[in-house]
Amino acid sequence: MDIQLSRVNKRFGDTAVIKDVSFTVAAGEICCLLGPSGSGKTTLIRLMIGALPADSGTIQFGDTEMPNMAILKRLGFMPQNDALYEDLSAQGNLAFFGGLYHLPKRTREARIAEVLDMVELTDHKRKLVKDFSGGMKKRLSLAIAILHEPDILFLDEPTAGIDPVLRRKIWAQFQALKAQGTTIIVSTHVMDEVVECDKGALLYNGRLIEYDTVDRLLDKTASGRIEDLFFAASESEARS
Amino acid sequence: MIQLAKRVIRQTINDKRSVMLILVAPLLILTLVYFLLGDSDYVATVAIDPVAVPAPVIDALEQQELELVDITADEADQALDYLQQHEGVDAVLRFPENSAMDITLYEPSTKGATAISEIQEAMAAINPSAEAEVSYVYGTQDQTLFDSLGYVFLALFSFFFVFIISAMALVRERSRGTLERLMMTPIRRGEVIAGYTLGYSVFAVIQAIIIVLYAIFVLQLSNEGNIGWVLLTMVLLAVTAVSFGATISIFAGSELQVVQLIPFTIIPQVFFSGLIPLDLIPYHLGNLSYIMPIYYGAAAIKGIMVYGDGFSDIWGYLAGLTIYALVLYVINTQALKKFRKL
Ligand SMILES: Nc1ncnc2c1ncn2[C@@H]1O[C@H](COP(=O)(O)OP(=O)(O)O)[C@@H](O)[C@H]1O
Ligand SMILES: [Mg+2]
Repeated sequence: MDIQLSRVNKRFGDTAVIKDVSFTVAAGEICCLLGPSGSGKTTLIRLMIGALPADSGTIQFGDTEMPNMAILKRLGFMPQNDALYEDLSAQGNLAFFGGLYHLPKRTREARIAEVLDMVELTDHKRKLVKDFSGGMKKRLSLAIAILHEPDILFLDEPTAGIDPVLRRKIWAQFQALKAQGTTIIVSTHVMDEVVECDKGALLYNGRLIEYDTVDRLLDKTASGRIEDLFFAASESEARS
Repeated sequence: MIQLAKRVIRQTINDKRSVMLILVAPLLILTLVYFLLGDSDYVATVAIDPVAVPAPVIDALEQQELELVDITADEADQALDYLQQHEGVDAVLRFPENSAMDITLYEPSTKGATAISEIQEAMAAINPSAEAEVSYVYGTQDQTLFDSLGYVFLALFSFFFVFIISAMALVRERSRGTLERLMMTPIRRGEVIAGYTLGYSVFAVIQAIIIVLYAIFVLQLSNEGNIGWVLLTMVLLAVTAVSFGATISIFAGSELQVVQLIPFTIIPQVFFSGLIPLDLIPYHLGNLSYIMPIYYGAAAIKGIMVYGDGFSDIWGYLAGLTIYALVLYVINTQALKKFRKL
């Protein structure tokens, strides 16, 4: 199922935060939303999943407009802030969200064990989240997003604040999910992570300045570093 | 919905402070109220000039629960000065030539009222024709303030603590982003509010049972009616409190703001809950009580505990509460549209 955005605009009060953004994420790809802090990545993700209404433009999953119950069942979302219940244990958080997707008890327990293992939190599953470190919360949040084996996964800066070793493991997980056919939309402000993705959508001040395969994006730069594309954008914006 | 209710229960149990606030704080405050409003056995002190007061009157006064202090004729003439200089004395009693009796009090207070009523009883003892027999349709003369106002606190507590806990939990859910996350699962908007209400209802039931048993059996609060109806009313009130908390949480950006909103949300309700008889409130402001959920709960509980009412007498109040809760439920469900239009 492709995700199509067409001329999407969003303002918060007087400031336009997303400006006329159009692009299509093909099913089964990893699409990277890349941009400096404040460029509108989080807002764009919230628009795509239907947590925010767009001022104009359309967002469609296949032929369906969001929000839609049938699609919500197949969608996984990891917000940028941790969005966890601090007074519940890791297991308690997972059991709660698993229950909301109506996973049968057996499957649910097996999946909880599986994802806890995936994010290396099995030893801490009974601990209350308020006693977790920042990185542990991030991992638990990721575990919740993939718990119900969604077809489409939205991840808002999933690797921020995670150490390099675990970061590599997590990206390996994303590749494994992709291999199973999951479409992944992942935002990041870490330019290096783009090489893990199929497509890169470069956001700058709410505008989509580039959208292409990562290989072609890298070819466009002289140095082979994606930052250069942002420098070019900032210069052209300064001129205009 | 059950999932959400289970989570609310687990979450509340894991937060010791919430549990204390729901289950222990009401008992603590109720005990305090019991001592504050209970029988104080205060003995008023009255000053008299034994030379000027007729002997039979002194005899009668001595029969009463009064502390008598002898003063000189000069001091009696300067009663105002005397009272100002002697803090322990509540009243000066004189019998001037041109009037029957003259009582000077330090200030209009319960202590002064006690002095007056004892003096009046003494006078009645001398002159039996002046004695007034007082009887009541409900209650008895020796009931304390706690007996006649205790029900207000049952209503207040079932509302207030659940309100605070649920409003804060919902504000936290908004500000931490868990509500947005929740709304990105295939849960229906109505289920969110219903789940919350159901979860807190479990605590409301436990709380109501503890408070009522404690008030009636430990603090001996007089009760004319059926405890079951009291419990039902308290639980209904607590359910309304969850919805009320959810509505208020829309207007609060943080947990602190829930507290800042208390002067607008809770304090007016305290005044209209029966502490002050509504008929005494001027400019028909008493009618404001109809928009306050605590009023319905307090009125029903008063009916049951003071008048011994049954369901046929209080159903109107219970219906009022139910309608209140339903209206808030609809408002809250609509408010969630901000997070997901569907
Ligand atoms: N709810 C909101 N109300 C007002 N402004 C907002 C809101 N959310 C985001 N913004 C503004 O929109 C811009 C883009 O924010 P965001 O999408 O969070 O960027 P990013 O995720 O790329 O860091 C920022 O300038 C931010 O201040
Ligand atoms: Mg962001």
